Amino acid sequence: MLKEDLIKKNPLRVLNPLPAESLPDHRMGLVMARAGLGKTAILVQIAMDSMLRGQKVLHVSVGEDLGKAKAWYDDIFRYISEGSQLENVGEVEIELMRNRMIMTFKESAFSRPKLEERLNDLIYQSIFRPDVVVVDGYDFAEADYDSIMDLKEMMAAMNVQVWFSALRHREDDRVSAAGVPAPCHEVDGLFDTVIIVQPEQDAIMLEIIKDEYDSAAGKVLNLDPSTMMVKA
Amino acid sequence: MKVNLDNLRNIGISAHIDSGKTTLTERILFYTQRIHAIHEVRGKDGVGAKMDSMELEKERGITIQSAATYCNWKGHAINIIDTPGHVDFTIEVERALRVLDGAVLILCSVGGVQSQSITVNRQMTRYKVPRIVFINKCDRTGANPYRVTRQVRDKLDLNAVLMQIPIGLEGDLQGVVDLVTMKAVYFEGDKGEVIREADIPAELLDEAEEKREELLDAASMYSEELMEAILEGTPTEEMIHDAVRKGTLSLELVPVFMGSAYKNKGVQSMLDAVTAYLPTPKDIENTALDLDNEEKEIILSSNPDDSLTSLAFKLEDGRYGQLTYIRIYQGTMKKGDTIINSRDGKKVKVGRLVRMHSDEMEDIEEAAAGDIVALFGIDCASGDTFTSPGNNVSMSSMHVPEPVISLAIIPEDNKAQINMSKALNRFTKEDPTFRTFVDHETNETIISGMGELHLEVYIERMKREYKAAVEVGQPQVAYRETITQMAEFNYTHKKQTGGSGQFGRVAGFIEPLDDGEYEFIDQIVGGAIPREFISSCDKGFQKSLEKGSLAGAPITGVKVTINDGAAHAVDSSDVAFQLAAIGAFKEGYQKAKPVILEPIMKVAVEGPSEFQGAVMGSLNQRRGIIIGTIEEANYTSVEAEVPLSEMFGYSTVLRSLTQGKAEFTMEFANYKPVPKSVAEEIIKKAEAEKQKS
Repeated sequence: MLKEDLIKKNPLRVLNPLPAESLPDHRMGLVMARAGLGKTAILVQIAMDSMLRGQKVLHVSVGEDLGKAKAWYDDIFRYISEGSQLENVGEVEIELMRNRMIMTFKESAFSRPKLEERLNDLIYQSIFRPDVVVVDGYDFAEADYDSIMDLKEMMAAMNVQVWFSALRHREDDRVSAAGVPAPCHEVDGLFDTVIIVQPEQDAIMLEIIKDEYDSAAGKVLNLDPSTMMVKA
Repeated sequence: MKVNLDNLRNIGISAHIDSGKTTLTERILFYTQRIHAIHEVRGKDGVGAKMDSMELEKERGITIQSAATYCNWKGHAINIIDTPGHVDFTIEVERALRVLDGAVLILCSVGGVQSQSITVNRQMTRYKVPRIVFINKCDRTGANPYRVTRQVRDKLDLNAVLMQIPIGLEGDLQGVVDLVTMKAVYFEGDKGEVIREADIPAELLDEAEEKREELLDAASMYSEELMEAILEGTPTEEMIHDAVRKGTLSLELVPVFMGSAYKNKGVQSMLDAVTAYLPTPKDIENTALDLDNEEKEIILSSNPDDSLTSLAFKLEDGRYGQLTYIRIYQGTMKKGDTIINSRDGKKVKVGRLVRMHSDEMEDIEEAAAGDIVALFGIDCASGDTFTSPGNNVSMSSMHVPEPVISLAIIPEDNKAQINMSKALNRFTKEDPTFRTFVDHETNETIISGMGELHLEVYIERMKREYKAAVEVGQPQVAYRETITQMAEFNYTHKKQTGGSGQFGRVAGFIEPLDDGEYEFIDQIVGGAIPREFISSCDKGFQKSLEKGSLAGAPITGVKVTINDGAAHAVDSSDVAFQLAAIGAFKEGYQKAKPVILEPIMKVAVEGPSEFQGAVMGSLNQRRGIIIGTIEEANYTSVEAEVPLSEMFGYSTVLRSLTQGKAEFTMEFANYKPVPKSVAEEIIKKAEAEKQKS
């Protein structure tokens, strides 16, 4: 299979249809799940899809170490390339590597000014100009509306698409009017797209409960529990 | 003298450069009464610390080669391997780790876990070495053993557990609180040799209780007895020791100690910990390969009565002649024994057997399993296995990386020429990552190794120890070539110019080989190429691999399949088919889209966050791909993959970019194709050189 087919056949096309120009300049997405249900895997697949399409992705990981984040990309690339019998694997991998950068922060070291400073470093020196930023491990339980609004404005000013992951807690069953559960129930208005990961009997479902830009809202995708790969 | 294995420890002291390893070793030797005065590494007395026996090490204040030394502590024998701290000498570190049973990882209480410690820790994990941590330099301004312990958990991913807490810090460091005995320990007297136990100072009591709680929590995972005792409120010191030991041996727990070697504080407690928690040779499973049984792995017994298996892990050419350091894994080695080098089957007689104390020695009659000793006048290479006759095994070969950098050296005069070859002969035996050969085209002697500093140190040693002054050429990166797609060949070699002719036709295809350098597949049916010439073809292909047509670099990762050909009853010969294969390969190679590969280094730069932008810029300029950054408090490390050819002189650049506050490590990662523009330059250069010669 060629890279182009891989992009076309990706089940994530529901979220990010082709061509890329039809996408909004800045969009803020959210993936919510309980612990261990594949938040990082989904973010990495969204990132990987963008990377394959030639966009630059900055992966921001709060609390995880660099090696673990990188391992996710390596694993998911392997699943993709083996599953699709991708041609020129080596070349595609080198190309993808150039489209990705990982930034890890200790929980205590992460803040908006710091992230902004780092992003500016990258952009002004033309080291890396991200089109998409994925933020994994951001603590929504500790964040308030203003700080998330702040992040949103910053990303909008930089013209990047941003995806967050958020951890749901079993014991917290508060839900917003739009159906977005805690801890994001009070900030759901800030997000254009929200995906909830729901475990079913022997499958994991991805429910797209909100999508401002597209008609993806209400659609459901699946996650293969053994590989954490998104399926149609 | 037979050593009781329960009372023997083979330990390494491993750490980041400048974290005070040599000073600590020096103190250990003082307290164990192996030496009678203390000298500093950069001492004013000009004597220098005992473990740095090489001149060069004294001058640079760093430890280059690992010397083994033997000492006694409270009825235990301890062999200490001092290991180098710089990443360019990792083969030395890795080799030392192999023969160790346990290790002390030293961290600086100010600098904490830095990139070099991470590399060393990774190596220890690879060789499954149980370890304890000693946080040194607690007397320094900014000392914070708690922060360092957190870093051990976060950055090294070790389950670090405090065994002590400090009494005072920085200039006020007085001693430590032992969380097992719940006593304050002070180190008094001129050299800290007088140990005084006292009650815990009142202001530290709460903290001590709290940390002891954590210690008990962690330790109880490894002992049900302890867990029950804790519930009943009656844990004994012995139970805690046992549980911590179990946890340490299983590599799941890392006890943390602290002090200041320079200020003579905490060293004795750390020695107690070495004997209490680190493994005896019996606790570690070592394996060898059975050469009589297809190199099947066998477990060594550590029984002194079994047949001998031992490993030469280090050669040294000192003032006493040639010394070979040996770790005995099984059996006993006696003076006068005949032993066999399993690499070449040569018999060797054990002449003098000595126990080394840095640069003094003690003659011994025999040494048994578990021990580390040195032999005199044995001709062998590092990594050779010595066994008793009939025991045909080899210690598994160590992972030896291919060199990635080379440079030409030219002796200044005739005398230097002779000395240089002596030195090179010695170095290549000591260090398998250091290679040397003569380039037939330029007639220059080329040395190659794992990095710039690696080669620099050998050039220095050549000058100092062997009085061989040499001129040094520009460092060259070791390029490779490979193919990226399948291509067919069908080549006929024909020559008829009087006398007997030459004829051979070889057909088949070449294709990329992912793991491995070269594979030859013979699919000839019906005798199109007669049996006896198949190996000629193989030889011809292998010859072709020596020099690629792009940059003249060796070709790797090629699978050659031959499936057709033709021969002539009279004119076909070994030579004819070799030449046919060479021609065939040339034909296929052109069509198989060959590329040049260059060594890529994994580079980690660490420094204050304010310099992060500058650091990333400098890596980016060097064709580096930045993999990511790790941000922590005010410290950031940047990880990148950068071509080695772009890293020459980087240490100077980095120093000036960051006011000397950042540092970097690099290790070989892999080979990757060079970008087109660079490839063109390399090819042009190679062509120019071809025309010159």
